[in-house]
Parts: sequence; structure tokens; C-alpha cells
Amino acid sequence: MIEVSTDWYLTLAAILFSIGFIGMMIRKNALIMFMCIELMLNSVNLTFITASRHFGTIEGQISVFFVLVVAAAEVVVGLAIIVSIFKKQSSASVDLLRASRG
Amino acid sequence: MEILLLAIVLLPLLTALGIKLVDKFINETLINFLTINSALLSFTIASGMFVLLTMEKFEPIHFTFFTWLTSPEILFEFTLDGLSGIMMVLVTGLSVVIQIFSTSYMSQDEHYSKYFIYFNVFVFSMLLLVMSGNFLVMFFGWELVGLSSYLLISFWSKKQSAAKAGNKAFILNRIGDFGFLVGLMLVLSIFGTFNYEKVFDEVLAGNEQSLDLIVICFIVGAFGKSAQFPLFSWLPDAMEGPTPASALIHAATMVTAGVFMLVRISPILQFSEIGKIIVITTGLLTALIAAFSAINQDDIKKVLAYSTISQLGFMFIAIGSGAYVAAIFHLVTHAFFKALLFLGAGAVIHEMHHEQNIHKMGNLKTRMPVTAAMMGIGTLAISGIPPLAGFWSKDEILASTFANGGIYYGFWALSLLAAFMTAFYMGRHWLLIFHKETQNDVTQVSEAPKTMLRPLILLGLFSIFIGFINTPFFHGVEKVLHETLHSVDITHLPEGISLIILAVISIGAGFTGLLLAYLIYIVDILSYFKVKVPLKKELKLLSANTLYLNKLGDLIFVRGLKLASRKTAVVVDGLMIDGLVNKTSSIFYNSSKRVSKSQTGLVRSYVVYFGLFMLLLIGLFIATPWMLN
Repeated sequence: MIEVSTDWYLTLAAILFSIGFIGMMIRKNALIMFMCIELMLNSVNLTFITASRHFGTIEGQISVFFVLVVAAAEVVVGLAIIVSIFKKQSSASVDLLRASRG
Repeated sequence: MEILLLAIVLLPLLTALGIKLVDKFINETLINFLTINSALLSFTIASGMFVLLTMEKFEPIHFTFFTWLTSPEILFEFTLDGLSGIMMVLVTGLSVVIQIFSTSYMSQDEHYSKYFIYFNVFVFSMLLLVMSGNFLVMFFGWELVGLSSYLLISFWSKKQSAAKAGNKAFILNRIGDFGFLVGLMLVLSIFGTFNYEKVFDEVLAGNEQSLDLIVICFIVGAFGKSAQFPLFSWLPDAMEGPTPASALIHAATMVTAGVFMLVRISPILQFSEIGKIIVITTGLLTALIAAFSAINQDDIKKVLAYSTISQLGFMFIAIGSGAYVAAIFHLVTHAFFKALLFLGAGAVIHEMHHEQNIHKMGNLKTRMPVTAAMMGIGTLAISGIPPLAGFWSKDEILASTFANGGIYYGFWALSLLAAFMTAFYMGRHWLLIFHKETQNDVTQVSEAPKTMLRPLILLGLFSIFIGFINTPFFHGVEKVLHETLHSVDITHLPEGISLIILAVISIGAGFTGLLLAYLIYIVDILSYFKVKVPLKKELKLLSANTLYLNKLGDLIFVRGLKLASRKTAVVVDGLMIDGLVNKTSSIFYNSSKRVSKSQTGLVRSYVVYFGLFMLLLIGLFIATPWMLN
């Protein structure tokens, strides 16, 4: 029987974070990028929980609740932005938004 | 008493203001009435004060009108002693005579009232200068006479030459004023007061050793105002102004302010050997250069201007050799005969319809006998022919210089040369205007009007008799100045036979000069005997152009400065300062242009940057403990 140790959880979180980060870098659809952000946030949440369990403390779990609340709020704002971008250019591609080019 | 003293000074100012206020509504007659009566009143009060002063044995009287500053204590104060008394009477008296002349000379001028306003402002400033009780009040008068002189020189400002001459006089005077100003600051910082008496008491107590610098500063001031070498070239140009103004300002009073000031500070000056040497050498140099230049001037007024410079040089020689009384005496006599000569020249110019070239005149004595006679008196007086005024004062200067002995014998000989040249060019001046037979048509010329002749005759009489106030037999001026100069070491005249020999020599110089002028310009002895003067043409050019000093000054100071400032503008301002600013901004512009390329506007590239920095951070986290160990 393989024991699922703390390392496994941390490795999973790292993999999830990397997927999210690479997704951010290579996808240009705003909606997909948004999902990648969510993925990264959740990988961080997983890290918090793992640490909380490993050290037997409560602070990590409290932090997760905060992250969840912020993420929920962010979804509200973020989705609204994506909808208005889509309305403007009938595409959710972020590469078309280059107004802040130097 | 105080109110009378104040009245003398303020009457001209009030007159000027009064004329200015009602300028639009009054005609020439009313202006004449106002200005001449106020001048007369001022003169009467001044004479009365002088008589009062005589009865008080010339004990200095001090008046404080108000306290200006308390720490250091600076008062607005006047001093009335022999020195300021003489000047006060001289200035107000000449102002009356010359204003009477001016009413005729300036009549029908466009700016008739303006002329009298300026004139009265000048008289006010000059009185403020001479009556001052401390250095600061004197400085006010000093600056104000500079201003009013500028206004009167460029009176006909539509003429460009007049405007330029005014500027030149003002700018050259500023060099002198700078010296005066530095002197003022030195006086305040060393003595802590401006009051003459207090400063002189400190000096006489022997508390201060380093007086040379103060004295030199004041001497520079005097050189500027009194047109001494090398600051003299403004005075001949100043002749652009109206002739009566030239008579009062640029001959009789203002230019003597430097002499007055040096006599005023004589208690300090006497302790500075180097100061005295500077004064006498400059005076001598000025007297010689100006006399040499006067020989070949063609303008009737320029001859007189150079002669003024030369006579001022004589006064400086007197001061340098310690003969302060002789300097003031010559100042007084010179004021009379030079005012006479200038007014005579004014009358001639007026009748010749503003022709000033003496070669276009000639034989005017048949046409203007009274003017010719009076100018003749002036010429004899300035040449030092006894018993006219110039003889007594000039001889006293020469004899006092001689009396010092040593190197002063050389100074005496050179002064004698200058005196000889004075007689020569003044003889030439008179002969060319009034005596020489000429082809020029002068039949239209008539005698000057009475308002011009009367002042001339009055000044003529003074030019004959004023010399008797201070002869070897009666030391009038010395008595007047006795209290003022009581602490000063004065050079006295030599006694007995040597005085007579010196007098004979200087009379001889005067006569020879006049005779030589007659022989050369009337009999034309040079071509009669076929005498070839070596380098005649060159000498003539040199003399007519004042040794080219004017051109040299123009080359060095005007053009040199213009060139230097242009170069500075291009190199320092254009290349260095502007270049530095422009370079800085272009460096920032270019570098920021390069950096801004990294701002692609693509969200994904920002993500990449973010990731890279995160990697860097992680790397640091890992590396730090390893590096610390």
C-alpha cells in the first residue's frame, strides 16, 4: 500500500500551477486564460490545505477561505470585462487588445 | 536758519516741479519769471548765509534734518563751512547768470520748459552735493548731477549724436561712481559712520593705517566725474548739449565735483602718499593730453571742452601737490572765465545759426565787438595774463608744485608746458574766430541780443577781478577754507624772490603761447620762413584725434566686449549650457524609447515576464542560503 504523503499533494499543486501558468502564456482566449488563473488559485489553495494538515494548524484553512472569497469576487468582475471585450470585437482574443503597447 | 539752508537747496527743485506741473498753461515769459526769480532768491539767501559764515569766522555749522537709519546711525545732514559756502555761492550765482543767458539762447525751442526743468534739477543736485554733511548725502548729489547731466547732454535727443553722447557720459561716469560706491562701503565698514567730522577725527587720531584703498576708490570716483585720464573722452562729446548747459555743467560746476570731493576728503588724502602721486600724475597727463588735443580741434565748443579737461588737470595737480587752497581757488576763477568763454561761444553759435566750425568764422570782431572783447578777456584770463583771474590761480598752482621740491620740479616743468599750450590754443581759438581775415561771408552776422550780452559783461568783469580774492598779498580763499582744512598739511607758496621769478616764468609762458599763436595763425610765419615742421601731418592727426585714445577705447572696450560677448553667447550659452540640457533630454528620450519596446501590450508577454521574475525569485531563495554558507 502506497502512503499518500505531503509530498504528493505538493507535487500535484505544483503540476496544477504549472499547467495554469503555461496556459496563461500560450492561450489567447480570455475565457481560457481566466480558467487558468482559477486553476493556479486552486493549486495555491491546495498547498495551503496541505501545509495546514502537515503542521496541524488552522491558519492555512482560514487563508483558503479568503482566497475563495477573493476569487469569487474576481470572477464577477473578470467575467463582466470578458463579456464587454467580446461585445466590442466579437472575439475573446486578448492579442487584439494592444492599446498599451510602448 | 535751518529753513533758509533748506530753502537754498530745495528752491531749484520746487521750481522744477512747479514748471513741470503748470507746463501746459504757461508761456516762456512766465517760465523765465519763475525760474530766474527763484534762482535769484536762492543766490541771495546763499550770499546772506556766506556773510553770516564770514562773521562766524567760518566755524562749520551742522544741520541734521532727519535721522534716516539708527544702526549704523545715518543722518540726512548738511554741513556749511568755508568750502561748501564757496561752492554754494558759486553754483547759485552762476545759475542766475546762465539762466538769464539761456532765456535768450533757448528761446523758441520746442522743449523750452523741459530745459529749465532739467536745469533746475541740476542746480538742486549740485547744491545737495556741495552742502552734504556726510558721504552718503554727497553720493546722492553725485548721482543726481550725473543724471541731470545725462538729461541735458541728450537734450536734443532726436539727434543721434546727442543721444549717444549722453549715453557715453553716463556710462563712463558709472566707472567713476563704482569707485565712489566701493569707497563708501569701505568707509562704513572701517569707521562705522558716514559723517565727515567723525571719520576725519578717527583718521587724525591715527587709529587707521590702511587708508590707501579708500583714497584710491574716491580718486577713481573723482576721475570719472571730473573727466580725468583715462575717463575724459565723454566731456568733448558732452558738447552736444545746449551751450548754456555746457557752460554751467560741463565747465563751471559739475566737472569740478571731483576736485571738490578730493578737497573735502583732504584730511584722509594727506596721509596717502600713493594717492597723491596718482592724483598728480593723472592730472599732469590729462592736462598735457587735453591741451595737445585742443590745438587741432575745429569745433568752437570742443576746444573749450578740451581746455576744461586741461584746467581740471591743473586742479588735480594742485591737489596732488597738497595745495588744496590753490585747487579751490582755480576752481572758482576757472568757473567764471570758462562760463564766460562758453557763453561767448554760445552767442557766436547763436548768431552764426548753429555753425560751430571755427574755420567757417573769422573777423567776427567787427560784427560782434562786445562778444569779441569779452571772449578776449576770457582768453587772456585762462592764458594766465596778469592781472586777470587765471593768472593768480594758475600761478599759485605752479608755485605750490615748485615749492614741494624734489620730483615736483619735474611736475612743475610739465605743468608749465601745459600752461604754455593753454595760452597757445586759446590764442588760436580767439584769433581764428574773431580776428583772422577770411573769405567767409560773415556780413549777415550781428551782435548778440542784450539778454546774452549782459551776462557776458558781468562774467567778464568777474574774470578780471575775481583773482584778487586770493593773491600773495591777500589770502582770501585760504582764510575761508582755514577752518575746513585746519587739520590738513597744506603746501604754502614759496617766499620772496623765488615767487616773483616763478610768476615771471609763468607769465612768460602765457605771453609766448599767445604770441606764437598770433605768429602762426595770423602772420603765418611757418610758410613765410618756409619752416618745415617734421611729422607735421602725423602730429596734427594725433592731436585732432586725441592720440586716438577714443578709437583705442572703442576697439578694446566696445568692439572687444561685443566680440567677447558674441563668442560667449555661442560657446558658453549655445554649446555648453544649451548643449548640456539638450543632451540630457535626448539621452532620456532615446533610452526610454528603447525600454518602451518591451511594453508590447500583449498580456501574454507580461505573463512571461512575470514568470521569469518568479523563477529569478525562486532561484534567489535557493541560492541565498547556499551563498551565505
